[in-house]
Amino acid sequence: MKNKNKKSGMLVMPNRMYIFAVPALLLFSVFWIYPVLQLFYYSFTNFNGINYNYDFVGFKNFARIISEGSLLNSILNTLLYTLIIVVVSNVIGLALAFMLNMGLKGTRFYRTAVYIPALFSAIVVGFIWSYVYMPSSGMVASIVDLFGGEGKWLNLLGNYQTALVSIAAVDIWKNIGTTMIIYLAGLQTVNESYVEAGMIDGCTDWQLIKYIKLPLISTTITINVVLNVIAGLKAFDFSFIMTNGGPGRATNTLMFSIFQMAFNDQMMGKASAFSVVSFAVIVLITIIMLIHMNRKEVEF
Amino acid sequence: MRKQTAVFEKEESKVKKFLASLLVMVLSLAVLTGCGDDPDSFGHGSEESEDGDITITMLFSGVATEDDFQTMILPKLIKEKFPNITLEVTELPDDQYYTALKTKLASGECPDIIMVQPKYAGTNSVISLAQAGYLLDLSDLACLDLAGDAAKQSFTYDGKVYGISQGAAMLGAFYNKDMFEANSLEVPTTWDEFLNCCETLQQAGIQPIVMGDKDAYVMQFGLYQIAANEIYPNNPTYDDELRTGETHFTDEGTWDKVLEMYYELYEKGYINTSSLGLGASQAMQMFVDSEAAMTFDGSFNLQGINAAGAVDFERGYFPIPAENGDTYAAMAPGGGPAVYSGTKHPEEAKAILDYWFDGESPVYEAYSKDGNAIVTYGVGSDKNDPIFDTFLDMYRDGKAWYWCNQAWPAGTETEMEALFGSMIGGQGTTIDDITSGMQRKLEELLEQ
Repeated sequence: MKNKNKKSGMLVMPNRMYIFAVPALLLFSVFWIYPVLQLFYYSFTNFNGINYNYDFVGFKNFARIISEGSLLNSILNTLLYTLIIVVVSNVIGLALAFMLNMGLKGTRFYRTAVYIPALFSAIVVGFIWSYVYMPSSGMVASIVDLFGGEGKWLNLLGNYQTALVSIAAVDIWKNIGTTMIIYLAGLQTVNESYVEAGMIDGCTDWQLIKYIKLPLISTTITINVVLNVIAGLKAFDFSFIMTNGGPGRATNTLMFSIFQMAFNDQMMGKASAFSVVSFAVIVLITIIMLIHMNRKEVEF
Repeated sequence: MRKQTAVFEKEESKVKKFLASLLVMVLSLAVLTGCGDDPDSFGHGSEESEDGDITITMLFSGVATEDDFQTMILPKLIKEKFPNITLEVTELPDDQYYTALKTKLASGECPDIIMVQPKYAGTNSVISLAQAGYLLDLSDLACLDLAGDAAKQSFTYDGKVYGISQGAAMLGAFYNKDMFEANSLEVPTTWDEFLNCCETLQQAGIQPIVMGDKDAYVMQFGLYQIAANEIYPNNPTYDDELRTGETHFTDEGTWDKVLEMYYELYEKGYINTSSLGLGASQAMQMFVDSEAAMTFDGSFNLQGINAAGAVDFERGYFPIPAENGDTYAAMAPGGGPAVYSGTKHPEEAKAILDYWFDGESPVYEAYSKDGNAIVTYGVGSDKNDPIFDTFLDMYRDGKAWYWCNQAWPAGTETEMEALFGSMIGGQGTTIDDITSGMQRKLEELLEQ
C-alpha cells in the first residue's frame, strides 16, 4: 500500500523528472542565455572579435552609432521595410484567402501554387530575383520593353528610391503563401450560421466581410501582423543577397548593419552596442503592437 | 502471484532508473562534447605517437576540388619527404574558415599551420594575428628570399616575417581584343589615351566598360589600380603614415584625385549607368557576351572571364594607365600559410613550409601546376597564362603596389564603397564627403 502511494505520488508529482529538463536547460543557457548576456558586456568594450586584450570604453559605442547616423538610417529603413511587408502582405494574403475560401474550382492547385515560393530558401529566391530585376535584360525590363516602355532605364535595385521597395516585394512574394494559409485556416473556423444569419438580415457581401468575417478572424489577423512585423524587423536575407545593403546604404537594415559591423569592420563591441539598441527598439515596438492588437480582438 | 508482481515492479523501476540515468549521462556527454572538440573534424594541435611519428594539423580556406592540392596532393608529398610526419589538412570555405579559426584561436586549440592574409587584410590578417601573439616568427626560413621583398614585406610585423605568400594576384582591365581591333584601338599607355579609347568605343555605339557595382567590392578593382599609379609612387609610405596621422585620406592630390579620375568614367557614361543594379557575375557575363569592351577585374576571376559567351573573341589584360604614363600594376602577394605560436612541433612545421616553397621541390611543382595562384619564382613560373605577362614583368621590375585595403583596417574600404555608391547613385555626395568619411572611419577603426 505504502509502495503504491509512493508510486502514484511519483506519477502525479514527478519531482525527480525535473532532472530531465537539465540537459535542455543547460544547452539553452550555454548557447543562448550566456551569449546574450555576453553581448551586453561586449557592448561596453572595443573587442574586435580576435584579440582578447580589449578595453572598456563606457558608452562610447552607443554615442558613436547615434552620432554617425547609421543607427537612424538603419531604423528608418527597417521600419519602412516592415511597414511595406505588413500592409501589403496582409492585404494580399487576406484577399487571396477570401478568394480561395469561396469554393472555386481548382482551389487546391491555387493554394499550392501560392505557397510554393515559401518553400525555397531565401538565397535561391534572392538570386533568381536579382536576374528578374537585372537592368536592361532582366525579366521586368523585358516586360516593360514588350509594352513599349524604356526597359533599359529601369534599374530597380540600383536606384535609391526603389531598391528597398524592390527587395521588400521579393520578401512579400516569398512569404505571402504562409500569411495566406494562416488566414485561410482562420476563415475556415468562421461558423457558417453567423454568415447565414447575416444573409437573412440582408447583408451585402461587403457587409458580411466587414461585420462578420473580419471580426471573427481578428485573432488570425493579430498573428499574421505580429509574424510579419517580426519578420520585417529581422530583415536581413534580401539586403544581404540582393543588394549588399546598397546602393550606398539604401537597404541597410538593422540586422544587416550589425552583421556588417561585426564581421566586416570587425567591431564586435560596436556591433554589440548596436544589437542592444536594436533589441530595445524591437521589444518596444512588439509590446506596443501586442497591447494595441489585443484590445481589438473579438471573442464569441 | 502478488509477490511476483512486486518483484517485477521492482525490477521494472530499476530498469527505468537505469535507463533514466543513462539518458541523462548521454545527454550531458553530448553537451560536453558539443562544447569540446571533435578530433576528426578539425586539426586540434599536433599529436605524437610512441614511435616518434607526429601529426601536424593544417587549417586552410578554400573549396576542395577533384585532386585537390591542399587536402590530397600536399599531405601525400609531405609524407614522401618526411616519413615520420603526417599532415592533416582541413579545408573550409572562406566564411566558415574565419569562424573556425577564431574559435580555434580563442580556445587555444589552433592547428599548427593556418592560412593568413597579407598585412591587415581580413579577419585572418597576418598583422592582427601576430599582434595578438598567435603566430610564430618565420624570419629565418630560406624560402622567404625567393619570393622577393614585396611578398616578404606584406607578411612582416615589427621587423619579423610571420607568413609566406602563395604567389600573387593582380587587378587590371580585361578587354575584348576583337572590339579594340575593329575600332583600330591599341592598349592605352596614359590616362588620356585610356579616356580616348573609351570615347571612341562609345561613339561606335559600344559600352566601353561594364561593372557590377551592386556587389560594391568591385569598385576596388578600378580604384586600387588608379591609387597604385597616383598615390604610392609619390609617397610609398602613404598608408603607414595614415596610421600615424602624418597623412590623411583628405590630403590634396591623393584620394580626391583617385576618386575624381574614377568618377569621370561614370560621369561620361564610359562605365554603364546601370552599374548599381548589376551584380558582379552579371557584369562579367555581359563582358563575356561581348556587350561591353572592358571590365575591371582580378586575375583570380580569369576562369569566369574566359568562359564561353554568346560571341567568341580574344581576351586581353592591361593595367589602367597612369596620368603621366608611368604605370604601376596593382598586384598583391596572396595569402598563405603561417605557423601557430602554440604549436608543439615548430621545427617540423617550419621544415614543411620551407620545403613547400623552395621553388623546386615536388610539392612546389605540384602547387604551381595547380594553377590557383600565379607563381612568381621557381618551377612553373614560366607557365603562367601569357595574359598576365605584362603584369609579371612589372612585378619583377618592382613596378607594382599592393592593394590599398591590405594596409587599411578592415572596414575602411566598405565605407569608401558605400559613399562612392551614393555618389554615383546621385545622392549629392561629393568627393570631399567620401575622403572625409574614409578618414573618419579609419580613425574610428584605428582606435580599436
